[in-house]
Amino acid sequence: MTAAPDVPWAIELSGFVKRYATSWLGRGRVAVHPLSLRLAPGQVLGLLGPNGSGKSTTLKALAGLLAPTAGACRIFGHLAGSNAARALVGYLPESPQFPAYLSGRELLHYCAGLSSLHPATAGPRIAEVLAWTGLGAAADQRLGTYSKGMLQRIGLAQAVVHDPPLVLLDEPAGGLDPAGRLALHRLIRDLAARGKTVVFSSHLLPQAEAVCDRIAILGRGRLLSEGTPAELLGVEPVTLPQPCRLEKLYLEKVDAHD
Amino acid sequence: MTEPTRTGMGASLRRIGLIARHTLREALHLRLTRLIALAGGGLVFSALELREFNFGGSEGKFLADFGLGALGLSGMLLAALAMAHLFFSSIAGGAACILLTRPVRRWEFVWGKLAGVFAVLALFSAAIGLVLAGLLVWRGIPVATPVFACAVAVLWLKLSLVAAMTLLVCSYAGSALFASSAGLLLALLGHLRPLAGESGRLHWLRVWPDFELFDGGALLAAGQVPPAATLLAVMVYWAGYVMILGQLAAYAFKRREF
Repeated sequence: MTAAPDVPWAIELSGFVKRYATSWLGRGRVAVHPLSLRLAPGQVLGLLGPNGSGKSTTLKALAGLLAPTAGACRIFGHLAGSNAARALVGYLPESPQFPAYLSGRELLHYCAGLSSLHPATAGPRIAEVLAWTGLGAAADQRLGTYSKGMLQRIGLAQAVVHDPPLVLLDEPAGGLDPAGRLALHRLIRDLAARGKTVVFSSHLLPQAEAVCDRIAILGRGRLLSEGTPAELLGVEPVTLPQPCRLEKLYLEKVDAHD
Repeated sequence: MTEPTRTGMGASLRRIGLIARHTLREALHLRLTRLIALAGGGLVFSALELREFNFGGSEGKFLADFGLGALGLSGMLLAALAMAHLFFSSIAGGAACILLTRPVRRWEFVWGKLAGVFAVLALFSAAIGLVLAGLLVWRGIPVATPVFACAVAVLWLKLSLVAAMTLLVCSYAGSALFASSAGLLLALLGHLRPLAGESGRLHWLRVWPDFELFDGGALLAAGQVPPAATLLAVMVYWAGYVMILGQLAAYAFKRREF
Protein backbone atom coordinates (compact mmCIF):
# COMPACT_ATOMS: atom_id res chain seq x y z
CA MET A 1 0.00 0.00 0.00
CA THR A 2 1.47 3.32 -1.00
CA ALA A 3 0.40 6.92 -1.30
CA ALA A 4 2.05 9.24 -3.81
CA PRO A 5 4.91 11.20 -2.18
CA ASP A 6 3.05 14.52 -2.36
CA VAL A 7 -0.35 13.09 -1.41
CA PRO A 8 -1.02 12.65 2.32
CA TRP A 9 -2.53 9.45 3.64
CA ALA A 10 -6.32 9.50 3.74
CA ILE A 11 -6.09 8.28 7.32
CA GLU A 12 -3.03 7.94 9.45
CA LEU A 13 -3.13 6.62 13.00
CA SER A 14 0.21 6.93 14.78
CA GLY A 15 0.37 5.17 18.12
CA PHE A 16 -3.27 6.03 18.75
CA VAL A 17 -4.34 5.11 22.29
CA LYS A 18 -7.73 5.64 23.86
CA ARG A 19 -8.35 5.17 27.55
CA TYR A 20 -11.83 5.79 28.98
CA ALA A 21 -12.00 7.05 32.54
CA THR A 22 -14.13 4.75 34.66
CA SER A 23 -14.03 6.63 37.94
CA TRP A 24 -12.37 9.60 39.59
CA LEU A 25 -9.70 7.41 41.15
CA GLY A 26 -9.35 4.51 38.72
CA ARG A 27 -6.95 4.50 35.81
CA GLY A 28 -9.75 3.70 33.40
CA ARG A 29 -10.27 1.13 30.70
CA VAL A 30 -8.05 1.03 27.66
CA ALA A 31 -10.27 0.74 24.58
CA VAL A 32 -7.47 0.99 22.04
CA HIS A 33 -3.83 0.11 22.68
CA PRO A 34 -1.18 1.82 20.56
CA LEU A 35 -2.58 1.49 17.07
CA SER A 36 -0.79 2.57 13.92
CA LEU A 37 -2.58 2.32 10.62
CA ARG A 38 -2.43 4.10 7.28
CA LEU A 39 -4.73 4.09 4.30
CA ALA A 40 -4.13 5.56 0.87
CA PRO A 41 -6.83 7.74 -0.72
CA GLY A 42 -9.50 5.95 -2.72
CA GLN A 43 -9.33 2.67 -0.80
CA VAL A 44 -11.94 0.85 1.25
CA LEU A 45 -10.82 -0.32 4.68
CA GLY A 46 -12.89 -2.75 6.73
CA LEU A 47 -12.42 -2.71 10.50
CA LEU A 48 -13.32 -6.15 11.78
CA GLY A 49 -13.38 -7.53 15.26
CA PRO A 50 -15.65 -8.68 18.06
CA ASN A 51 -17.71 -6.30 20.18
CA GLY A 52 -15.45 -4.17 22.37
CA SER A 53 -12.45 -4.54 20.09
CA GLY A 54 -12.12 -0.78 19.52
CA LYS A 55 -13.66 -0.42 16.06
CA SER A 56 -16.18 2.28 16.99
CA THR A 57 -13.64 4.08 19.18
CA THR A 58 -11.20 4.22 16.27
CA LEU A 59 -13.89 5.53 13.91
CA LYS A 60 -15.02 8.13 16.45
CA ALA A 61 -11.45 9.30 16.94
CA LEU A 62 -11.07 9.69 13.18
CA ALA A 63 -14.35 11.61 13.10
CA GLY A 64 -13.06 13.92 15.83
CA LEU A 65 -15.64 12.90 18.42
CA LEU A 66 -13.00 11.50 20.77
CA ALA A 67 -9.61 12.92 21.63
CA PRO A 68 -6.73 10.41 21.62
CA THR A 69 -5.25 9.68 25.05
CA ALA A 70 -1.91 9.31 23.26
CA GLY A 71 -0.70 9.33 19.68
CA ALA A 72 -2.37 11.10 16.79
CA CYS A 73 -5.05 10.58 14.17
CA ARG A 74 -4.73 12.46 10.91
CA ILE A 75 -7.13 12.91 8.02
CA PHE A 76 -5.40 13.88 4.76
CA GLY A 77 -2.63 15.36 6.90
CA HIS A 78 -4.94 17.33 9.21
CA LEU A 79 -5.37 16.41 12.87
CA ALA A 80 -8.69 14.60 13.33
CA GLY A 81 -11.24 16.86 14.98
CA SER A 82 -9.76 20.04 13.52
CA ASN A 83 -12.08 22.10 11.36
CA ALA A 84 -10.02 21.31 8.28
CA ALA A 85 -10.29 17.56 8.98
CA ARG A 86 -14.02 17.65 9.73
CA ALA A 87 -14.71 19.32 6.41
CA LEU A 88 -13.19 16.26 4.74
CA VAL A 89 -15.17 13.63 6.64
CA GLY A 90 -18.63 12.15 6.31
CA TYR A 91 -19.73 9.98 9.23
CA LEU A 92 -22.54 7.51 9.78
CA PRO A 93 -22.84 6.46 13.45
CA GLU A 94 -23.83 2.97 14.50
CA SER A 95 -27.38 3.83 15.55
CA PRO A 96 -28.23 7.17 14.00
CA GLN A 97 -31.23 9.00 15.42
CA PHE A 98 -32.98 11.41 13.13
CA PRO A 99 -35.79 13.82 14.01
CA ALA A 100 -38.96 11.91 13.09
CA TYR A 101 -40.81 15.06 11.99
CA LEU A 102 -38.29 15.96 9.27
CA SER A 103 -38.52 14.58 5.76
CA GLY A 104 -35.48 12.98 4.16
CA ARG A 105 -34.95 16.03 1.98
CA GLU A 106 -35.25 18.43 4.95
CA LEU A 107 -32.68 16.41 6.90
CA LEU A 108 -30.25 16.61 4.00
CA HIS A 109 -30.83 20.37 3.65
CA TYR A 110 -30.08 20.74 7.37
CA CYS A 111 -26.91 18.65 7.09
CA ALA A 112 -25.82 20.47 3.93
CA GLY A 113 -26.33 23.81 5.69
CA LEU A 114 -24.26 22.69 8.67
CA SER A 115 -21.54 21.60 6.27
CA SER A 116 -21.71 25.15 4.84
CA LEU A 117 -22.66 23.86 1.42
CA HIS A 118 -23.61 26.81 -0.73
CA PRO A 119 -27.41 27.00 -1.20
CA ALA A 120 -26.95 27.19 -4.98
CA THR A 121 -25.30 23.79 -5.05
CA ALA A 122 -27.15 22.19 -2.13
CA GLY A 123 -30.45 21.55 -3.96
CA PRO A 124 -29.01 19.68 -6.97
CA ARG A 125 -26.53 17.83 -4.77
CA ILE A 126 -29.30 16.66 -2.43
CA ALA A 127 -31.40 15.46 -5.37
CA GLU A 128 -28.35 13.59 -6.69
CA VAL A 129 -27.64 11.92 -3.34
CA LEU A 130 -31.29 10.97 -2.84
CA ALA A 131 -31.36 9.34 -6.27
CA TRP A 132 -28.05 7.60 -5.60
CA THR A 133 -29.36 6.04 -2.39
CA GLY A 134 -32.66 5.11 -4.03
CA LEU A 135 -34.68 7.43 -1.80
CA GLY A 136 -35.86 9.84 -4.50
CA ALA A 137 -39.48 8.70 -4.23
CA ALA A 138 -39.48 8.85 -0.42
CA ALA A 139 -37.59 12.14 -0.17
CA ASP A 140 -40.58 14.11 1.11
CA GLN A 141 -41.87 11.47 3.51
CA ARG A 142 -41.30 12.03 7.21
CA LEU A 143 -38.36 10.10 8.63
CA GLY A 144 -40.69 8.65 11.25
CA THR A 145 -42.28 6.58 8.49
CA TYR A 146 -38.98 5.23 7.12
CA SER A 147 -38.04 1.55 7.46
CA LYS A 148 -34.73 0.52 9.03
CA GLY A 149 -33.18 0.09 5.59
CA MET A 150 -34.37 3.49 4.44
CA LEU A 151 -33.03 5.10 7.62
CA GLN A 152 -29.67 3.50 6.99
CA ARG A 153 -29.68 4.81 3.43
CA ILE A 154 -30.64 8.34 4.52
CA GLY A 155 -27.85 8.00 7.08
CA LEU A 156 -25.44 7.24 4.27
CA ALA A 157 -26.90 10.11 2.26
CA GLN A 158 -26.26 12.63 5.08
CA ALA A 159 -22.71 11.31 5.37
CA VAL A 160 -21.93 12.03 1.72
CA VAL A 161 -24.17 15.04 1.02
CA HIS A 162 -21.22 17.45 1.25
CA ASP A 163 -19.15 15.21 -1.02
CA PRO A 164 -16.39 14.44 1.49
CA PRO A 165 -13.31 12.55 0.29
CA LEU A 166 -13.39 10.30 3.39
CA VAL A 167 -16.51 8.43 4.53
CA LEU A 168 -16.60 6.68 7.92
CA LEU A 169 -19.36 4.15 8.47
CA ASP A 170 -19.92 2.48 11.83
CA GLU A 171 -21.71 -0.86 11.38
CA PRO A 172 -23.59 0.41 8.32
CA ALA A 173 -25.18 -2.98 7.63
CA GLY A 174 -26.42 -3.49 11.19
CA GLY A 175 -30.04 -4.63 11.19
CA LEU A 176 -30.38 -4.63 7.41
CA ASP A 177 -32.01 -7.46 5.50
CA PRO A 178 -29.91 -9.31 2.86
CA ALA A 179 -31.17 -7.14 0.01
CA GLY A 180 -30.41 -4.00 2.02
CA ARG A 181 -26.92 -5.27 2.82
CA LEU A 182 -26.18 -6.01 -0.81
CA ALA A 183 -27.45 -2.58 -1.86
CA LEU A 184 -25.33 -0.93 0.84
CA HIS A 185 -22.20 -2.76 -0.19
CA ARG A 186 -22.75 -1.78 -3.80
CA LEU A 187 -23.03 1.84 -2.64
CA ILE A 188 -19.74 1.50 -0.77
CA ARG A 189 -18.03 0.10 -3.86
CA ASP A 190 -19.58 2.91 -5.87
CA LEU A 191 -18.10 5.46 -3.46
CA ALA A 192 -14.68 3.87 -3.98
CA ALA A 193 -15.19 3.97 -7.73
CA ARG A 194 -15.78 7.72 -7.40
CA GLY A 195 -12.41 8.05 -5.69
CA LYS A 196 -13.68 8.29 -2.12
CA THR A 197 -11.90 6.65 0.77
CA VAL A 198 -14.23 4.54 2.88
CA VAL A 199 -13.58 3.11 6.34
CA PHE A 200 -16.30 0.96 7.84
CA SER A 201 -16.71 -1.46 10.70
CA SER A 202 -18.62 -4.68 10.31
CA HIS A 203 -19.32 -8.11 11.70
CA LEU A 204 -20.28 -9.41 8.26
CA LEU A 205 -17.10 -11.10 7.16
CA PRO A 206 -18.10 -12.40 3.70
CA GLN A 207 -19.29 -8.94 2.66
CA ALA A 208 -16.17 -7.33 4.09
CA GLU A 209 -14.02 -9.72 2.10
CA ALA A 210 -15.87 -8.78 -1.06
CA VAL A 211 -16.04 -5.02 -0.51
CA CYS A 212 -12.73 -4.07 1.09
CA ASP A 213 -9.40 -3.22 -0.49
CA ARG A 214 -7.82 -3.60 2.93
CA ILE A 215 -8.90 -5.23 6.15
CA ALA A 216 -7.79 -4.56 9.71
CA ILE A 217 -8.73 -7.08 12.38
CA LEU A 218 -8.90 -5.70 15.91
CA GLY A 219 -9.15 -7.62 19.15
CA ARG A 220 -9.38 -6.07 22.61
CA GLY A 221 -8.11 -2.80 21.26
CA ARG A 222 -5.08 -4.24 19.49
CA LEU A 223 -4.38 -4.58 15.79
CA LEU A 224 -4.21 -8.33 15.18
CA SER A 225 -3.79 -8.32 11.44
CA GLU A 226 -3.88 -5.87 8.53
CA GLY A 227 -3.54 -6.12 4.78
CA THR A 228 -5.41 -6.75 1.57
CA PRO A 229 -7.83 -9.69 1.57
CA ALA A 230 -5.45 -11.51 -0.75
CA GLU A 231 -2.50 -10.92 1.58
CA LEU A 232 -4.47 -12.05 4.61
CA LEU A 233 -6.11 -15.06 2.99
CA GLY A 234 -3.38 -16.07 0.60
CA VAL A 235 -5.99 -16.34 -2.18
CA GLU A 236 -7.87 -13.85 -4.32
CA PRO A 237 -10.98 -12.55 -2.55
CA VAL A 238 -14.49 -13.06 -3.81
CA THR A 239 -16.16 -10.26 -5.72
CA LEU A 240 -19.58 -8.76 -5.29
CA PRO A 241 -22.28 -9.96 -5.40
CA GLN A 242 -21.64 -13.31 -3.75
CA PRO A 243 -24.57 -14.04 -1.47
CA CYS A 244 -24.69 -17.45 0.19
CA ARG A 245 -27.19 -20.06 -1.02
CA LEU A 246 -29.85 -19.13 1.50
CA GLU A 247 -29.40 -15.44 0.67
CA LYS A 248 -29.75 -16.28 -3.04
CA LEU A 249 -32.98 -18.13 -2.34
CA TYR A 250 -34.22 -15.29 -0.11
CA LEU A 251 -33.44 -12.66 -2.71
CA GLU A 252 -35.13 -14.69 -5.46
CA LYS A 253 -38.28 -15.05 -3.37
CA VAL A 254 -38.35 -11.40 -2.30
CA ASP A 255 -37.63 -10.15 -5.83
CA ALA A 256 -40.34 -12.44 -7.24
CA HIS A 257 -42.82 -11.13 -4.68
CA ASP A 258 -41.94 -7.50 -5.43
CA MET B 1 -14.45 18.20 -1.33
CA THR B 2 -15.59 19.60 -4.63
CA GLU B 3 -18.58 21.71 -3.58
CA PRO B 4 -18.15 25.41 -2.90
CA THR B 5 -18.53 26.11 0.81
CA ARG B 6 -18.95 29.15 3.03
CA THR B 7 -16.33 30.04 5.60
CA GLY B 8 -15.62 32.74 8.18
CA MET B 9 -17.72 34.45 10.84
CA GLY B 10 -20.68 34.81 8.49
CA ALA B 11 -20.72 31.05 8.02
CA SER B 12 -20.58 30.56 11.80
CA LEU B 13 -23.57 32.85 12.27
CA ARG B 14 -25.47 31.02 9.54
CA ARG B 15 -24.80 27.67 11.22
CA ILE B 16 -25.90 29.08 14.59
CA GLY B 17 -29.07 30.37 12.92
CA LEU B 18 -29.66 26.99 11.31
CA ILE B 19 -29.27 25.13 14.62
CA ALA B 20 -31.51 27.70 16.34
CA ARG B 21 -34.24 27.34 13.70
CA HIS B 22 -34.02 23.57 13.92
CA THR B 23 -34.21 23.74 17.73
CA LEU B 24 -37.28 25.99 17.58
CA ARG B 25 -38.96 23.66 15.12
CA GLU B 26 -38.19 20.65 17.30
CA ALA B 27 -39.53 22.45 20.36
CA LEU B 28 -42.81 23.21 18.62
CA HIS B 29 -43.19 19.48 17.92
CA LEU B 30 -42.62 18.60 21.57
CA ARG B 31 -45.60 17.61 23.69
CA LEU B 32 -43.78 19.10 26.66
CA THR B 33 -43.84 22.59 25.12
CA ARG B 34 -47.53 22.39 24.28
CA LEU B 35 -48.36 20.99 27.70
CA ILE B 36 -46.53 23.75 29.57
CA ALA B 37 -48.04 26.40 27.28
CA LEU B 38 -51.51 25.02 27.99
CA ALA B 39 -50.80 24.84 31.71
CA GLY B 40 -49.49 28.44 31.65
CA GLY B 41 -52.59 29.66 29.83
CA GLY B 42 -54.79 27.68 32.22
CA LEU B 43 -52.99 29.19 35.20
CA VAL B 44 -53.61 32.68 33.85
CA PHE B 45 -57.31 31.91 33.47
CA SER B 46 -57.45 30.35 36.94
CA ALA B 47 -56.82 33.87 38.29
CA LEU B 48 -60.49 34.54 37.57
CA GLU B 49 -61.50 31.85 40.04
CA LEU B 50 -59.02 32.98 42.64
CA ARG B 51 -59.92 36.67 42.55
CA GLU B 52 -61.40 36.63 46.03
CA PHE B 53 -57.92 35.93 47.49
CA ASN B 54 -56.76 39.40 46.47
CA PHE B 55 -55.63 40.50 49.94
CA GLY B 56 -57.52 43.74 49.58
CA GLY B 57 -56.01 44.73 46.25
CA SER B 58 -58.00 45.66 43.18
CA GLU B 59 -59.13 42.97 40.75
CA GLY B 60 -56.93 44.43 38.05
CA LYS B 61 -53.81 44.32 40.18
CA PHE B 62 -54.54 40.77 41.31
CA LEU B 63 -55.17 39.49 37.79
CA ALA B 64 -52.04 41.16 36.44
CA ASP B 65 -49.83 39.98 39.32
CA PHE B 66 -51.20 36.45 39.24
CA GLY B 67 -51.01 36.29 35.45
CA LEU B 68 -47.42 37.50 35.30
CA GLY B 69 -46.58 35.11 38.14
CA ALA B 70 -48.11 32.27 36.15
CA LEU B 71 -46.08 33.32 33.11
CA GLY B 72 -42.91 33.45 35.19
CA LEU B 73 -43.50 30.09 36.88
CA SER B 74 -44.53 28.12 33.80
CA GLY B 75 -41.87 29.92 31.78
CA MET B 76 -39.14 28.90 34.21
CA LEU B 77 -40.32 25.30 34.00
CA LEU B 78 -40.31 25.51 30.22
CA ALA B 79 -36.88 27.16 30.14
CA ALA B 80 -35.27 24.45 32.27
CA LEU B 81 -37.14 21.43 30.88
CA ALA B 82 -37.09 22.42 27.22
CA MET B 83 -33.44 23.49 27.32
CA ALA B 84 -32.39 20.17 28.86
CA HIS B 85 -34.62 18.09 26.61
CA LEU B 86 -33.64 19.84 23.39
CA PHE B 87 -29.96 19.73 24.28
CA PHE B 88 -29.90 16.05 25.16
CA SER B 89 -32.11 15.01 22.25
CA SER B 90 -29.46 16.54 19.99
CA ILE B 91 -26.59 14.65 21.51
CA ALA B 92 -28.30 11.38 22.44
CA GLY B 93 -27.48 8.28 20.45
CA GLY B 94 -25.91 9.10 17.15
CA ALA B 95 -27.53 12.52 16.81
CA ALA B 96 -24.50 14.45 18.09
CA CYS B 97 -22.21 12.47 15.82
CA ILE B 98 -24.14 13.64 12.78
CA LEU B 99 -23.91 17.28 13.85
CA LEU B 100 -20.48 17.49 15.42
CA THR B 101 -18.53 15.61 12.77
CA ARG B 102 -19.36 18.45 10.39
CA PRO B 103 -17.46 21.73 10.37
CA VAL B 104 -19.70 22.92 13.23
CA ARG B 105 -17.67 24.28 16.10
CA ARG B 106 -18.80 23.23 19.56
CA TRP B 107 -19.49 26.84 20.56
CA GLU B 108 -21.68 27.25 17.48
CA PHE B 109 -23.72 24.24 18.57
CA VAL B 110 -24.09 25.58 22.13
CA TRP B 111 -25.08 29.09 21.04
CA GLY B 112 -27.40 27.73 18.36
CA LYS B 113 -29.24 25.65 20.94
CA LEU B 114 -29.45 28.60 23.31
CA ALA B 115 -30.73 30.92 20.59
CA GLY B 116 -33.36 28.34 19.62
CA VAL B 117 -34.60 28.08 23.21
CA PHE B 118 -34.61 31.89 23.50
CA ALA B 119 -36.92 31.92 20.47
CA VAL B 120 -39.17 29.27 22.07
CA LEU B 121 -39.36 31.35 25.25
CA ALA B 122 -40.09 34.51 23.27
CA LEU B 123 -43.01 32.79 21.53
CA PHE B 124 -44.22 31.39 24.84
CA SER B 125 -43.99 34.75 26.63
CA ALA B 126 -45.76 36.51 23.78
CA ALA B 127 -48.55 33.89 23.70
CA ILE B 128 -49.17 33.86 27.46
CA GLY B 129 -48.79 37.64 27.55
CA LEU B 130 -51.49 37.96 24.89
CA VAL B 131 -53.77 35.63 26.86
CA LEU B 132 -53.27 37.74 29.98
CA ALA B 133 -53.78 41.00 28.08
CA GLY B 134 -56.96 39.57 26.55
CA LEU B 135 -58.22 38.58 30.00
CA LEU B 136 -57.53 42.03 31.42
CA VAL B 137 -59.29 43.74 28.52
CA TRP B 138 -62.24 41.34 28.84
CA ARG B 139 -62.58 42.26 32.53
CA GLY B 140 -62.58 45.93 31.56
CA ILE B 141 -59.22 46.64 33.18
CA PRO B 142 -57.19 49.26 31.32
CA VAL B 143 -53.86 47.97 30.01
CA ALA B 144 -51.08 50.39 29.13
CA THR B 145 -49.66 48.48 26.17
CA PRO B 146 -46.05 49.75 26.34
CA VAL B 147 -45.81 49.04 30.07
CA PHE B 148 -47.39 45.63 29.68
CA ALA B 149 -45.11 44.73 26.74
CA CYS B 150 -42.12 45.94 28.75
CA ALA B 151 -43.14 43.79 31.73
CA VAL B 152 -43.46 40.69 29.53
CA ALA B 153 -40.14 41.44 27.81
CA VAL B 154 -38.39 41.80 31.17
CA LEU B 155 -39.86 38.46 32.25
CA TRP B 156 -38.53 36.95 29.03
CA LEU B 157 -35.06 38.19 29.98
CA LYS B 158 -35.38 36.30 33.26
CA LEU B 159 -36.59 33.12 31.55
CA SER B 160 -33.75 33.24 29.06
CA LEU B 161 -31.28 33.51 31.94
CA VAL B 162 -32.81 30.35 33.43
CA ALA B 163 -32.31 28.66 30.05
CA ALA B 164 -28.67 29.80 29.97
CA MET B 165 -28.11 28.47 33.51
CA THR B 166 -29.62 25.12 32.49
CA LEU B 167 -27.45 25.07 29.37
CA LEU B 168 -24.37 25.45 31.54
CA VAL B 169 -25.37 22.32 33.48
CA CYS B 170 -26.30 20.49 30.25
CA SER B 171 -22.84 21.08 28.83
CA TYR B 172 -21.26 18.65 31.28
CA ALA B 173 -24.21 16.73 32.79
CA GLY B 174 -25.10 13.18 31.87
CA SER B 175 -28.88 13.37 31.86
CA ALA B 176 -31.67 15.77 30.99
CA LEU B 177 -33.39 15.13 34.32
CA PHE B 178 -30.33 16.20 36.30
CA ALA B 179 -29.72 19.20 34.07
CA SER B 180 -33.29 20.49 34.30
CA SER B 181 -33.43 19.97 38.10
CA ALA B 182 -30.09 21.69 38.57
CA GLY B 183 -31.17 24.49 36.22
CA LEU B 184 -34.25 25.13 38.34
CA LEU B 185 -32.13 25.14 41.50
CA LEU B 186 -29.81 27.70 39.93
CA ALA B 187 -32.88 29.77 39.05
CA LEU B 188 -33.95 29.56 42.68
CA LEU B 189 -30.57 31.00 43.66
CA GLY B 190 -31.38 33.98 41.45
CA HIS B 191 -34.51 34.58 43.51
CA LEU B 192 -32.53 34.30 46.75
CA ARG B 193 -30.02 36.90 45.58
CA PRO B 194 -31.56 39.73 47.67
CA LEU B 195 -30.60 37.71 50.77
CA ALA B 196 -26.93 38.09 49.91
CA GLY B 197 -26.63 41.43 51.69
CA GLU B 198 -23.33 43.25 52.13
CA SER B 199 -21.72 40.52 54.20
CA GLY B 200 -22.48 37.26 55.95
CA ARG B 201 -22.82 33.65 54.95
CA LEU B 202 -24.79 34.30 51.77
CA HIS B 203 -22.40 36.94 50.50
CA TRP B 204 -21.25 34.57 47.75
CA LEU B 205 -24.71 34.86 46.18
CA ARG B 206 -23.66 38.29 44.92
CA VAL B 207 -21.92 36.70 41.94
CA TRP B 208 -25.21 35.22 40.78
CA PRO B 209 -27.75 37.15 38.64
CA ASP B 210 -30.29 39.10 40.65
CA PHE B 211 -33.74 38.12 39.39
CA GLU B 212 -35.30 41.07 41.23
CA LEU B 213 -34.12 43.21 38.34
CA PHE B 214 -36.45 41.26 36.06
CA ASP B 215 -39.63 41.74 38.11
CA GLY B 216 -42.30 42.33 35.50
CA GLY B 217 -45.02 42.59 38.16
CA ALA B 218 -43.29 45.51 39.89
CA LEU B 219 -42.83 47.21 36.55
CA LEU B 220 -46.51 46.84 35.76
CA ALA B 221 -47.48 48.08 39.22
CA ALA B 222 -45.34 51.20 38.71
CA GLY B 223 -47.52 51.92 35.70
CA GLN B 224 -44.86 53.48 33.51
CA VAL B 225 -42.02 52.36 31.30
CA PRO B 226 -38.68 52.82 33.10
CA PRO B 227 -36.22 55.35 31.69
CA ALA B 228 -34.24 54.19 28.68
CA ALA B 229 -31.01 54.27 30.69
CA THR B 230 -32.46 51.87 33.27
CA LEU B 231 -33.71 49.51 30.57
CA LEU B 232 -30.33 49.65 28.86
CA ALA B 233 -28.55 48.86 32.14
CA VAL B 234 -30.81 45.84 32.69
CA MET B 235 -30.17 44.67 29.13
CA VAL B 236 -26.40 45.00 29.55
CA TYR B 237 -26.61 43.15 32.89
CA TRP B 238 -28.62 40.38 31.20
CA ALA B 239 -26.34 40.20 28.15
CA GLY B 240 -23.26 40.02 30.39
CA TYR B 241 -24.59 37.03 32.31
CA VAL B 242 -25.82 35.31 29.13
CA MET B 243 -22.36 35.73 27.60
CA ILE B 244 -20.63 34.35 30.70
CA LEU B 245 -22.99 31.39 31.07
CA GLY B 246 -22.93 30.63 27.33
CA GLN B 247 -19.16 30.80 27.07
CA LEU B 248 -18.70 28.61 30.16
CA ALA B 249 -21.12 26.10 28.61
CA ALA B 250 -19.23 26.23 25.31
CA TYR B 251 -15.93 25.66 27.12
CA ALA B 252 -17.30 22.66 29.05
CA PHE B 253 -18.96 21.22 25.95
CA LYS B 254 -15.76 21.53 23.94
CA ARG B 255 -14.14 18.94 26.19
CA ARG B 256 -17.03 16.53 25.97
CA GLU B 257 -16.53 13.21 24.14
CA PHE B 258 -19.13 11.07 22.40
